[in-house]
Amino acid sequence: MNQSFYLLRNQEVPDFDQFDVYRQHGGYDALKKALAEYQPEGLVDLVKQSGLRGRGGAGFPTGVKWGFLPKDGRPRYLVVNSDEAEPGTFKDRELIERNPHQLIEGMIISSYAIGAREAYVYCRGEFLEGYEQLSRAVKEAYAAGFLGDNILDSGFSLNIFVYRGAGAYICGEESALLESLEGRRGNPRLKPPFPAVAGLYGMPTIVNNVETIANLPPIVTYGAEWYASMGTEKSHGLKIFSVSGRVNRPGNYEVPLATPLRTLIDEYAGGMQEGRTIKCVIPGGSSVPLLTPDKLDTPLDYESIVQAGSMLGSGGCIVLDDSVCIVKAAHRLVKFYREESCGKCTPCREGTYWMADILERMEAGLGDENDLSILMDVADNINGKCFCPLGDASIGFMVSAIKHFRDEFEAHVREHRCPLGAKVYDTANY
Amino acid sequence: MIRLTIDDQEISVPEGTMIADAAAKLGIDVPVYCYHEALGPLGACRMCLVQVEKMPKLATACTTAVAEGMVVHTGGAAVDKGRRGVLEFLLINHPLDCPVCDKGGECFLQDYTFQYGPPAGRFEEPKIQKVKDGPINEFILVDQERCVLCQRCVRFMDEYVGEPELLLEGRGVETVVATVDKKPATSQFSGNVIDLCPVGALLSVPYHHKARPWNIERQESVCTLCPVGCTTQTTGRDGHIVRVEGRPVPERGWGWLCDRGRFGFDFAVNQNRLTTSWLEGREEAAARTTRQVGQWLSDVIAQYGPDAVAFVAGGLHTTEEAHQLHQFAREVVGTNRLALSRDVAGYLPRGLNGTFEDLTLADAVVLVGTDPYESVPVVHLRLRERLRAKRPLKIYGVAPRSLTRDTLPVDSLVTHVGEEAQLLAAALKRAAAGHPAVAALTRGLDEAVGVDEDQLNRLGDTLVNAAHLTLLWDGLEPDVESVLVALAQVRQDKPTRVLPTWGPSNWRGIERAGFPGRIDALTEILEDARDGRIQMLVLWGADLIREYPDQALVRQAYQAVPLLVAEGLFAPDGSESFLAILPQAGPGEVAGTYVNMEARLQMANPSVQPPGQARPTKSYLASWAHALKKPFMAIDDWDPYDDESGDLLPAEAIPTAVKPVPARALESGDMELFTGVLVIENGIPSDILKPRVPAHPGRISAVDAEKLGISQHGLIKVSRHGEEIHVPVSVDASLTPGRIFVPMGLKSSPVNRVGPGAVEVARIEEVHTA
Repeated sequence: MNQSFYLLRNQEVPDFDQFDVYRQHGGYDALKKALAEYQPEGLVDLVKQSGLRGRGGAGFPTGVKWGFLPKDGRPRYLVVNSDEAEPGTFKDRELIERNPHQLIEGMIISSYAIGAREAYVYCRGEFLEGYEQLSRAVKEAYAAGFLGDNILDSGFSLNIFVYRGAGAYICGEESALLESLEGRRGNPRLKPPFPAVAGLYGMPTIVNNVETIANLPPIVTYGAEWYASMGTEKSHGLKIFSVSGRVNRPGNYEVPLATPLRTLIDEYAGGMQEGRTIKCVIPGGSSVPLLTPDKLDTPLDYESIVQAGSMLGSGGCIVLDDSVCIVKAAHRLVKFYREESCGKCTPCREGTYWMADILERMEAGLGDENDLSILMDVADNINGKCFCPLGDASIGFMVSAIKHFRDEFEAHVREHRCPLGAKVYDTANY
Repeated sequence: MIRLTIDDQEISVPEGTMIADAAAKLGIDVPVYCYHEALGPLGACRMCLVQVEKMPKLATACTTAVAEGMVVHTGGAAVDKGRRGVLEFLLINHPLDCPVCDKGGECFLQDYTFQYGPPAGRFEEPKIQKVKDGPINEFILVDQERCVLCQRCVRFMDEYVGEPELLLEGRGVETVVATVDKKPATSQFSGNVIDLCPVGALLSVPYHHKARPWNIERQESVCTLCPVGCTTQTTGRDGHIVRVEGRPVPERGWGWLCDRGRFGFDFAVNQNRLTTSWLEGREEAAARTTRQVGQWLSDVIAQYGPDAVAFVAGGLHTTEEAHQLHQFAREVVGTNRLALSRDVAGYLPRGLNGTFEDLTLADAVVLVGTDPYESVPVVHLRLRERLRAKRPLKIYGVAPRSLTRDTLPVDSLVTHVGEEAQLLAAALKRAAAGHPAVAALTRGLDEAVGVDEDQLNRLGDTLVNAAHLTLLWDGLEPDVESVLVALAQVRQDKPTRVLPTWGPSNWRGIERAGFPGRIDALTEILEDARDGRIQMLVLWGADLIREYPDQALVRQAYQAVPLLVAEGLFAPDGSESFLAILPQAGPGEVAGTYVNMEARLQMANPSVQPPGQARPTKSYLASWAHALKKPFMAIDDWDPYDDESGDLLPAEAIPTAVKPVPARALESGDMELFTGVLVIENGIPSDILKPRVPAHPGRISAVDAEKLGISQHGLIKVSRHGEEIHVPVSVDASLTPGRIFVPMGLKSSPVNRVGPGAVEVARIEEVHTA
């Protein structure tokens, strides 16, 4: 294991969130370089060459997204999605709480590249500390002349606004985020038009994830070739994985893409706790299907994980060990989506409610033999029929769990109890 | 045009059309809940799933725009399963209380479940419980359990009406439709959400638990409560109208109604409705009174000649009834004294009369005197719809008050009372001074209009140069007619169209039947009556004390005429002067046509029988003809429709004579009084709508209120020319200081007793309301 830090430099340098410390370690030099040496188009090309892909979950090439902005003279906005609420994912949180200046520097570079004069950070409502850290860092950047009018005499001006959401997972979906940012109910918008054409206040808007934008300063500093040299042919660069579960050192780890899952768990996260074995791994946040232990050698890049039957997603790597009841895990996750469904479209709103109820009953030992087929049919009626990806996200884990651990589901029904749980369920009072 | 194939049928539709609309053109039914063409796509209910070839997933027909060569299947195994799944989802938390639901039998949830749904439910978990029969306002209930969250109601109020009084609260499966801050919705378009609701979630309070679809009979009708003449559908049960719904007419309107029209149907069963007659102050069988009136007619004609009898038509009569009355008056009685009841002095030549299409086509709209939200509400909605179209639109207001609203941004020029014509003429002079019509119009014009010069220039420029100019006019200032005539001449081929917003709602139809439309005819009759030249005055639906702009003249006339006879739904004001009052069969009770402010003929079918002894016009006339021993065969096949203009009244040339706008005589007083129409105060009572009737309908500015020592509401005394009225007023922030607004037709504060202009004002008391 050879850990180097480009994004989570706070793990290497104490007090890296402080403006002076950040400056002493080369902070904002990338911004100076970008403004001095690049035209905006050149920066877009640089990002395209680096192969940087969206780190929020979808993995869409960032430079290509930037290229979608129509050149019609309308004002453009950059919106940074910091509404990180995917269970098992906590990378953006560390970035904004411990390394806020790198995000701000990345935002200034990105805004310069896409021609935005205003940029917003939509911060998850629960991230009070991150919000305060970002707000402070923005103030410091203004004071140092990195924000405001005519930044570093380049003629480029930018204002950054930090906005705190009200606590809704759905606002991590970019169009719902824009609705919320505009002051409306956070429901996803109809696409097309995509935000690049009609986004915030109807203007061309780029919505990027915190980690994506935090990649900009190192890419400018070290160049596109350096970045592209990491990873595979289609998945370039660095990715932060948030490892959780019964591992010895849960936390965020910044690794080159295509690092094997086993390396991440065993070397970076210090392996499983004593006496525990891996039951399965959710590699990309709660929305993706699980991987069974035979897939542990899968390289962590976008394509290989899809081949293995899951998705890279947001990089929230949840390691489930042998003490975990798969039904209870499925119930907990589906319940999360049931609570977070915005209610706009029918299948997601009603389907998650139904699935969560069945799973709860099953875990309590009250399942019957039809439940599994109903669960699969409800999942099929959700699959591909919802307005936004949240509906599909709600069934990813559950469907894969039924596929790989069908015996365990059937045992719950057959034995009228949870075979793993120490607790004896009081069915009379359920 | 885009060519595509839907279920093996080819069709070409304009670019941007959604698959659902293209399918509808082919007569293929794609089930929808959330989608409504007027509101645009949403994609929430997922009911309209279809299979599009080469697309990996099912697509929603309401949000997917057509593409060249697209092949769509609206059926098939995948589509059927998708729809079945969505319906199963919609029903898992639905209470399934169809047996007690007003919507039962006319519900899209029932219909689609029958057609596409699963035969049985598999859901065994507890259902979410929500509010049942909660109030939206006095007229609407919400059953949140039945709601499918299609958002039609929320979006209609927010995006279409512009009054966001409904919202979605909570999230996920807990989401409900509720009012903002739990306050009742006050928008006068709120009732439309009942029609929009595809299921039984939004219910009409007056219709609640009143009937099932198999107990009722629906008839296509027209609302007669204001000159817009919205198309309606009336629901009759057991001889009563119990509900009015909007009736969409393809290419013409979505069937929106205002609450006045939707809930105001109960005038027919109002306790004051005439169902028997009155003869010399006593209640009497209508047949007997009719015979007596016939005798009087015969006597008067014999003694004084036919011109001693005068007929004034008005109220809610059909065009055909007016024609019968006209035929009777002319041919049987032989009198020339005929008039139409008018409440404003202005007149609009038919040649200038526009249609609602002119609102759609307009690039500039000028509101002269009238606030459409208050006087002709659905026209306000049409303007909102026009605003939603992305084409640019300028809206100007010329009135003694600002006409701008949150829902309708208006560049408002606030005039002195009675100076709208002057201001319009002054604006015209700035943009087209050289035109002879403008020169004629502005001869001797007083230039002191007291309005910002830039604004005046802008208005002038728009009046002259707008590609399609549409005006709304309240008719209060007769001199505006001359301005409109001049304007049409200046603009030549560019359309100049005017929509008159005054009543009675069918005045054009009564005019079409032969009654002179201008107020002069009525004034002449009243003066002749006052001067003793009329022995018998017959008011057909007209209530002149309430309506005619000069109440004193009406009272003098009533005193001088020996034989006063009225027919109507209600006894007219000053009924003690009438020797005979006959009950009228009203809208919903007679078949016929009504002509709206577009000069458009619209047919109405009767729903119920007239109550009591109320009779249609023809039966009275036949009886009197018998008394006069003359033949009267009402021409049953008289057809108001025209060969050339279809359902519009025949087009006429625009007059050319332009009269100069007279200089205004300046008066002095504390304040300037002006008036206007509140559709809620149009003289037709409704118990259902009582909560909407303002307790303090007069309005003053905050500045004047402070001067008078009134904080919110008060009673004030308004006097002018020795006449005085007491007006309950409230503070209106949009009112210009120095102005007082008193709506027309208030029984206890009749503005036509004092008339508009300079008035003396004094406080009687301040009123504190809870």
